[in-house]
Amino acid sequence: MKTPKTRRLATAAAVGGLSIAALMLVRGRGRGGRTVRARPARLRLERGMATVRLAARGGARYATNAPRLFASAGEHRQALRNDLALQTAEDVAATLGTMKGVLMKLGQMASYVDDGLSPAARRTLSRLQDSVPPMSPELAAQVIEEELGGPPEQVFATWDPGPIAAASIGQVHRAITHDGRAVAVKVQYPGIAETIAADLGNVALLRRMLKITAPMQDVDALLDELRERVTEELDYRREARNQQRFARYYAGHPTIHVPDIVPELSARRVVTSELADGARFAELAGWSQAERDLAAETIYRFVFRSLYEEHTFNGDPHPGNYLFHGGGRVTFLDFGLVKHFTEEELKPLVAMVKHLCVENDPEAFRRSMEEAGFLMPGAPLPTDMIVEHMAVFYDTVRERGPRTMTGSYATAVTRRFFDFRSPLAAYVQIPRSYVILQRINLGLFALLGELSATADWRGIAEEIWPFVQGPPTTPMGAAEAGWRAARSGAGHPGRSVGLFGFYCLANGSGGLLNCGIRLNGRRYLAGL
Amino acid sequence: MTAGPYADAAGLVERSAAAYAAAVPVAPADDGYFGPASVTWRVSADLSAPVAGLRSLLMQALHPLAMAGVDQHSDWRTDPVGRLAATSAYEVTVTFGDRASARRVADRVRAIHEHVRGVDPVTGRPYQAGDPALLLWVHAALVDSALAASALFGTPLADAEADAYVAEMAVAAELLGTPREIIPASAAALARYIDGVRPDLRRTPAAAESMGYLLDPPGLDEDIAGLWQDIRDAAVASLPGWAVGLYGYPEPAPLTGQRRTEIRQALGVLDAVFLGEPGVLEARQRIAVRMRAAARS
Repeated sequence: MKTPKTRRLATAAAVGGLSIAALMLVRGRGRGGRTVRARPARLRLERGMATVRLAARGGARYATNAPRLFASAGEHRQALRNDLALQTAEDVAATLGTMKGVLMKLGQMASYVDDGLSPAARRTLSRLQDSVPPMSPELAAQVIEEELGGPPEQVFATWDPGPIAAASIGQVHRAITHDGRAVAVKVQYPGIAETIAADLGNVALLRRMLKITAPMQDVDALLDELRERVTEELDYRREARNQQRFARYYAGHPTIHVPDIVPELSARRVVTSELADGARFAELAGWSQAERDLAAETIYRFVFRSLYEEHTFNGDPHPGNYLFHGGGRVTFLDFGLVKHFTEEELKPLVAMVKHLCVENDPEAFRRSMEEAGFLMPGAPLPTDMIVEHMAVFYDTVRERGPRTMTGSYATAVTRRFFDFRSPLAAYVQIPRSYVILQRINLGLFALLGELSATADWRGIAEEIWPFVQGPPTTPMGAAEAGWRAARSGAGHPGRSVGLFGFYCLANGSGGLLNCGIRLNGRRYLAGL
Repeated sequence: MTAGPYADAAGLVERSAAAYAAAVPVAPADDGYFGPASVTWRVSADLSAPVAGLRSLLMQALHPLAMAGVDQHSDWRTDPVGRLAATSAYEVTVTFGDRASARRVADRVRAIHEHVRGVDPVTGRPYQAGDPALLLWVHAALVDSALAASALFGTPLADAEADAYVAEMAVAAELLGTPREIIPASAAALARYIDGVRPDLRRTPAAAESMGYLLDPPGLDEDIAGLWQDIRDAAVASLPGWAVGLYGYPEPAPLTGQRRTEIRQALGVLDAVFLGEPGVLEARQRIAVRMRAAARS
């Protein structure tokens, strides 16, 4: 049989299979993160092999393209076409029914579960997104009315009937609330949830597709998981809660800004948040390297602060999800893919970093890896080899001093991630709870690499690592320390008081940097 | 499965997509022979179209003379994918192209048909591709298949719409030289015509071989091959019982609601893959914009 040399046709079907399989690979039958250990070793080994085969399908192709990830991932949404606008829920069903909505959702999940998608598969999914026209103003208004109890012109003081952006299963409108706040209102396509639920209610095809892709998986458990995840993501209330949690935590932060949610104007198919404006990622390329370094530092701090302190990870480091304001100030958008870790889940990860980077204790590092479920206990491999293999993931934080993130570093990390020819491959796997953390490697590093960002990453990490809690190593670190000191004091500055309050930013040694009045999550009257 | 004179089917989706994208007009001079408000446009865009296409080939191949013409004159064996892509591009141009384009491609086919003549080795009967009887069979098989496939797996047409579709499509047969007066103009007339042709139909070795190839094309990408099984099952399930009998295929399992959903989902996934090919989305949008505009006015 003649096989085409390049698989131009890595299909959406395979995408679905790959992603769900990846979800399942790292998940035992039951719920919870420790199921991996409960499985007999032999089965685990077999499952490891399945991982190898699966990931090898797309991984090799991806590795060489890693730094280009952001050039293609959904940035080029076509201009919204009014003449194609969806007029009715039936139009929505016709456009997104019979698996298209499911594939879009799977694709979105796949992109964070496993970045080993071939460019062709990526293109298929991206085109699928492009193929969805916006809602007509009447249809969007109908959803607002159903969800918020009145037509948009009544619910909001001002409503812009033309969408300003497309979301994966909805679109974003601008509005002004009756109390004068400029807001972004994300409106979900009506009927999309039902359409997707109907397709997931009849899983014969999916089951078959998965058996091809993942012959050893427990397909039914996997489909249950899938249904649950997708259903969850169709409910914007969850996203609103996540965003609110981030907004609350980072309130008053010197450079990190998360738009506030307006809970009373959010519902299952509508989420309203403070409107943010700023430069897009593409524009950042034209800024000075110093500006880019600051922006990178803020993103880095955001990712690891959130992880270590809030046990929360926003799994969507897509460049479209940032707005840049200069001076390192960054607004973070889109909290649809957020993972909360338990203390228990995070502990071995923290231990791994500590043993490798701080205590330099390879045996302890290996034990933590086993504890986390990354490494099969008793694998017949020398510890040196394991450390050698894993070290690349910690490369930027093993020593103090400025390091420049490069595209080739991102590629090296990705390549190592998908290096399934390595002797470790049969003994290594990723427990389900940690799958999303691939995004740190595959997303964050690629993003920072694209910025060619330089910083003392180890220094910043030490500030954040709970087992070090180092002193500020940069001006931003100093400002952040002031913010932390203030928020650990009497409540959260500028947040605990709700809509109105005072805020102060202090430097590390307690000196005031900036004071003012906070109103609705924004700072006014910045002084000093 | 690579044995035999057939080339493999690698590139089926890519090349069909490229042909489709190129055939949908960018700036048509007029609305062509059907127009954006026609039932024909809706049927062409139906999810069930791949099933309709495969079923119509299965039907057409049962006419020994039509099959002999393809077998003896077409590049079908050496380039099956190219042949299928060209056929679908032809249909797209006739359906969505302006009148001049439709006439141009039809005239080209008529010119080729001039040279397609010979003797069918099975029946010993002479044939020529321009014979209105053969043209009509090929036409009727296509129209009947679109009705059958959309009824089972797509958006079914109401009786009046089905009649309108059959009547609208007559012009496609006319373009290739079929006299208007022999072309069925209603669903009932179409069914009567097909019944009348049945005694002439049979499975010749050429039909068995070429359809065997189509139902299980070698060289398909693994994922597409999985979906193709559903398309194939759907096409066979949508055939009249007598046609299944002529081919000697096992009686298809009854179509349960669940199986039908599964097939529709496979069609949806295949459609998504098709949409991922360069130019397809833009081509679809060119059509959709015109249909929307027609629906508004």
